[in-house]
Amino acid sequence: MAGDFELTRNITIGQYLPTGSVIHRMDPRLKLLAAALWILSISLCHTYLGNVAGLCVCLALFALARIPLSYGLSGLKPAIPFILILAILQLLFYGNGYGPSGQVYFHWGILRITSASVRVVVVSTLRFVEIIFAVSVLTLSTSITELTHGVEGLLRPLGRMKVPVHAFALIVTIAVRFVPTFAMEMEKMMKAQASRGAEFGTGSWWNIARRTRDVFPLIIPLFNTALVRAEELALAMEARGYVPGQARTAYRRYRAGGRDIVMFLAGMALSAALVFAPFPF
Amino acid sequence: MEKQIGFTVRRIVVAGVLSAIAILLGFTRWGYIPVPTPAGNATIMHIPVIIGSIMEGWPVGTVIGFIFGLSSFVGADVPFFKDPLVSVLPRLFIGIVSWLVFVGIRRWNVYAAIGVAGFMGSATNTILVLGMAVLRGYLAFGPALVTAVANGLPEAIVSVLITLAVVSAWMRIDRKGRRSKLDVD
Amino acid sequence: MGESNRGDILTVSNLHHTYLQGTPLAQPALFGVNLVIPAGSCVAIIGHTGSGKSTLIQHFNGLLRPQMGEVVVNGARLSNPQVDIRAIRQQVGLVFQNPEDQIFERLVGDDIAYGPLKQGIPLSEVVQRAKWAMGVVGLDFDEMKNRSTFAMSGGEKRKVALAGVLVLRPQILVLDEPTAGLDPRSRRDLLRRIRDLNRSEGLTVVFVSHNMEEVAYLADTVYVLAAGHIAFHGTPRELFGALDERPDLQVGAPPGVEILRALHSRGYHVDTTRFTVPEVAEEVAAAASGQRGPAAAAEPPSGDLSAPPTAWEGPAHRREPDGRHPHAHAEDRGDAHGR
Repeated sequence: MAGDFELTRNITIGQYLPTGSVIHRMDPRLKLLAAALWILSISLCHTYLGNVAGLCVCLALFALARIPLSYGLSGLKPAIPFILILAILQLLFYGNGYGPSGQVYFHWGILRITSASVRVVVVSTLRFVEIIFAVSVLTLSTSITELTHGVEGLLRPLGRMKVPVHAFALIVTIAVRFVPTFAMEMEKMMKAQASRGAEFGTGSWWNIARRTRDVFPLIIPLFNTALVRAEELALAMEARGYVPGQARTAYRRYRAGGRDIVMFLAGMALSAALVFAPFPF
Repeated sequence: MEKQIGFTVRRIVVAGVLSAIAILLGFTRWGYIPVPTPAGNATIMHIPVIIGSIMEGWPVGTVIGFIFGLSSFVGADVPFFKDPLVSVLPRLFIGIVSWLVFVGIRRWNVYAAIGVAGFMGSATNTILVLGMAVLRGYLAFGPALVTAVANGLPEAIVSVLITLAVVSAWMRIDRKGRRSKLDVD
Repeated sequence: MGESNRGDILTVSNLHHTYLQGTPLAQPALFGVNLVIPAGSCVAIIGHTGSGKSTLIQHFNGLLRPQMGEVVVNGARLSNPQVDIRAIRQQVGLVFQNPEDQIFERLVGDDIAYGPLKQGIPLSEVVQRAKWAMGVVGLDFDEMKNRSTFAMSGGEKRKVALAGVLVLRPQILVLDEPTAGLDPRSRRDLLRRIRDLNRSEGLTVVFVSHNMEEVAYLADTVYVLAAGHIAFHGTPRELFGALDERPDLQVGAPPGVEILRALHSRGYHVDTTRFTVPEVAEEVAAAASGQRGPAAAAEPPSGDLSAPPTAWEGPAHRREPDGRHPHAHAEDRGDAHGR
């Protein structure tokens, strides 16, 4: 009951586990690019063997980053019910009407299990596990600041096409900076409203409007304080002479060294292998 | 000051704080309102995108949509959100649609424009995310259609109510002659 | 432990609280706090940021439950998981810092009525209560009930938020820095209304403050909280008298006391234990009229304190800078409410 309110102190977003491994020290831009390519090639790989190989690479990444596998598994845990439900649905219904169905293992009414549906189920389940592992390694080994710089660095070429990359990076920084502030604000708001007799979730379950109004005492003050803060921040930034789009110097510069490039090329080679290698089955 | 286009300081900070709300709602249970849907709740995490779009234009909405998409990609429990084509790409269109709707109806009635923008923005989110999940082969068309109606419609209604409440209060659009519940005689 | 005596509306005994208990991030906030709030009193809780004030007052209405120790409100023990927490929150009205942030309804009347309507109290009763609550905070019911909440000044918004808690008819009003961020005029107005709630309406008031002037004006009992425990407990007079021996409290004296001390150090025989504005005015007037001047009077102290006595003929309260009603509080600050 009272413990309900303490939730925000536990929020970890993009949890970062500094172990100082080679993966951690990699240039964030190249790391991000390598991760994106790797995830793309996982989602393009349709063979059993390829996905098993992909899973092995993902496990190797944990070792390389010196991150205990338990972190990856804990990222996987909340996804398990979804993976299972999806797998069952696909297993039972995919055989109907989608592409060459291959050998039919089981058929009853509208249920039809074929070699193609088994393949879809196994491959997409493996794929989810691989992607969750790869993203876990990325977020556990990269701080939010590095991630922001990485995104900005990668998007820089777009700046030549009049895409406001700097503005975007600043928006991301402001967003990340304010998440904990608003979490505290929200916690305070729940306590303050409870102190004046608020009760949440009392409306009938089927009454959508009533249920929505139930959260008004929290949601509306949240938006209002956020927008007030935005006004204050805009004033403060203008007062300090911030001009959008003007060239600025960076406090920290990233330079990709030889090791970064070697690691990136290795990542590219693995990604390419996953897509183009002739896995027999 | 001349009318500025593109990202002014104000637009940058508004996009920043609204993205923060989208991330916060995505990572806590506050982003879910328990209503009768197959999922058992309606999400409201996309609402900052709609609000940003109405208040500061579609580029702001698109950036918030992108950040919202990234956060749902990183923090997703639902496996197909680990595919950026499902979690990120569709979210880029929420802002554009709600802005177009808002601007189209605004001259006729601002209050209605906000409400319809809230509805259409939410519907865009539902339709494009589920559509993409179907295209990418994670969901079959039938279940996706059922989800779109059964989950998307309540979500759109929730979105209308919240968008109206927040934006009309902030823009100080007041309907004349409103009477408090205490005004009983 | 934790037995409440007759006349004590709220007692806290040996209260401990640790945030994120049982995790590596555990952060102790309160260590064995003892505190007694007599019915009808006005208690100030002062202390630095991070001293545990907010944690402590959140125990008063059960937002936080005792991890160790006990909080007793009107005989109900809050460590008992079966305790009726709704009833506790109705009896103890807690007003957070910047309470105007919590206003969410479009109309003032609706926002004030939100709590009691949510509690299922009939509308006619809510109207009566709202009339009273708005009256005591100084908002005209008929004029304000249909007013838009977002078209109001900061001071008015804070009054609306305060009325939104008072409308529950609490017996104890707990305020976290009630005047923070207000302009001087609204601040004085609000302080006077809080004082009236305590003195005229008989509400027990507990407030957190950094401002010693406010403490001197309102409180009859003071608790100083430092690093999660009670470092001092007594009347404001005892506190301001003890400041020299207790630099560890890191409490500054109110301006009036500083003035008397300055006079004292220049040889005037003023009573430095007096601290309310009218008391200080009396002392200053006495000093200025020569009754308590430097014994030797060899050389009047330099500076503006040496104004000629003739300039000081009028009653002390005319000189009061902030327009409070000195006579009223000179008289009723007495033993009626305190020890």
